[in-house]
Amino acid sequence: MSSSRGRIRRASPQWLIPLVVFLILWETVSQLGLVEPVLISSPSAAFRALADQANMRTNAGYSVLALHMLSSVGALALGLLLAAGTGVTLGILMGASGRVYRFLDPLLTVLMPIPGIAWAPLFMLWLGFGMPTIVATGAIAAFFPLAYNTAAGVRSIDPKLLMAARSMGTSQRDILWRVCVPGAAPSILTGLSLAFARGWRTVIAVEMISASLWGLGFMIMEGREYLRPDLIYGGIMVVGIVFLLLEWLVVRRLEEASVGKWGVTKPTESW
Amino acid sequence: MWRSRKVLEAGAFMVPLVIVAALLQIAVGIGVVDSALVPSPWSIGQAIVRLSAPQPLLLSYLLTSLYRLLTGFIFGGFVGVALGVLLGSSTALRNALKPVLDFLISVPTICWVPLLLISVGVGDATVIIAVFLGCVFPVTYSAMNGVRSAREELVWGARSMGASSARVLRSVLLPAALPTVITGLRLAVGYSWRALIGAEMLAAAGSGIGYMIYAARAFYDVDVMFAGLVVIALAGLAMDYLVMGSVERRTVQRWGMVTKTW
Repeated sequence: MSSSRGRIRRASPQWLIPLVVFLILWETVSQLGLVEPVLISSPSAAFRALADQANMRTNAGYSVLALHMLSSVGALALGLLLAAGTGVTLGILMGASGRVYRFLDPLLTVLMPIPGIAWAPLFMLWLGFGMPTIVATGAIAAFFPLAYNTAAGVRSIDPKLLMAARSMGTSQRDILWRVCVPGAAPSILTGLSLAFARGWRTVIAVEMISASLWGLGFMIMEGREYLRPDLIYGGIMVVGIVFLLLEWLVVRRLEEASVGKWGVTKPTESW
Repeated sequence: MWRSRKVLEAGAFMVPLVIVAALLQIAVGIGVVDSALVPSPWSIGQAIVRLSAPQPLLLSYLLTSLYRLLTGFIFGGFVGVALGVLLGSSTALRNALKPVLDFLISVPTICWVPLLLISVGVGDATVIIAVFLGCVFPVTYSAMNGVRSAREELVWGARSMGASSARVLRSVLLPAALPTVITGLRLAVGYSWRALIGAEMLAAAGSGIGYMIYAARAFYDVDVMFAGLVVIALAGLAMDYLVMGSVERRTVQRWGMVTKTW
């Protein structure tokens, strides 16, 4: 723990310096008025806009920025949970049975190229505005990579392992939990990190178009309504930072805890 | 022989789709599913006909979308590859710009659209820039990684035999980077496609497939929405198989570096 923290502290200047230089350059360009201020705003204005949002309180006394963040992250978490439950189950079924695979593979192949956001108008019709639509659209965007990668992972398990387990009289349930799931784990995690990225993008996008009242996407859209590029830039920063933080905190940890523990090496990144 | 096998494969692919469509038709027909929420495949077909027959509206929307996609993608592809090759071959530049790139790549493309709406306004330009932004960063990334994947011995070898920097770039680095670049471009088609549909919903001003789906919501027209989804799915599949599949076959396989990532 302490060693990893030390590593980060030592590594931080290396990636921090270019970012700071970039911000300073950006600030300079906008202070000198070289480019239309509506177009590029400035980092200081963006930070000020964010601080305003953070200091603004709802009637119940919560910070508005915190609620926007919580709303987006909560929608992503719920959507991922739904997608993981259905996608991994379906993927394991597809991996375990050739018949199920042959039936579902064409359906997945046809539905997968549809961007998550394209489902949003439909869900708005079915579920109304706001959270249910955001969660459902995030879930469907996350579902396909999870189902597909899980199926591929289970199918890639060495049949000798399955035969060995069966010949030693392993029960179906143990085959599922002791062979299939660990064997497919690297692939499932690849699917999860993909699902995480797609889910986040979709959640932010749906918040923009579905006239919700909370969420970082809504906050950015508000910046558009009020012609506030500073708020939009601030929103973009928060969206990026929250994504990177979540990826680092959750996805990497999960990888270390599962794949690392089982000693299964992760295959080369396949998107 | 191979042709009959291909027919069989296509049949096996179509059967589940037909079964699901038939089940849906029956479910809507006997009223298990509300046709105001989920249209039957028959009425989706009718919507497609209605959108094509007197005036080829669907086709013109699709062509508009493809025009935006192609323009943004071509610009994004060129800029991305150029930037990526530059970043890949210069360590100093890479150290300076990679953290910024890391950040930009994690920002969803649609976040830039409100900004474009303020500065550029509603219309083609905003959508095209969004598509550009959707693919330029991933392409840069893959081109950079591709150039870096060139084995150093090869570069040394070429240099020691007196090759100029330009020659090293042309004869060693670029061929080495190609498989990664192709994979990156292929993925970028998907990113551009997503960016296009999202941007069209926010900023299309009256044309494009994304706009069509979004506008249909206002009229509670599920038939048109599903027609749009069908077109998006088919166009996405076609692009993946036809365009990028053949580019990969022509270039990567010719150089004997077949990298199938799926």
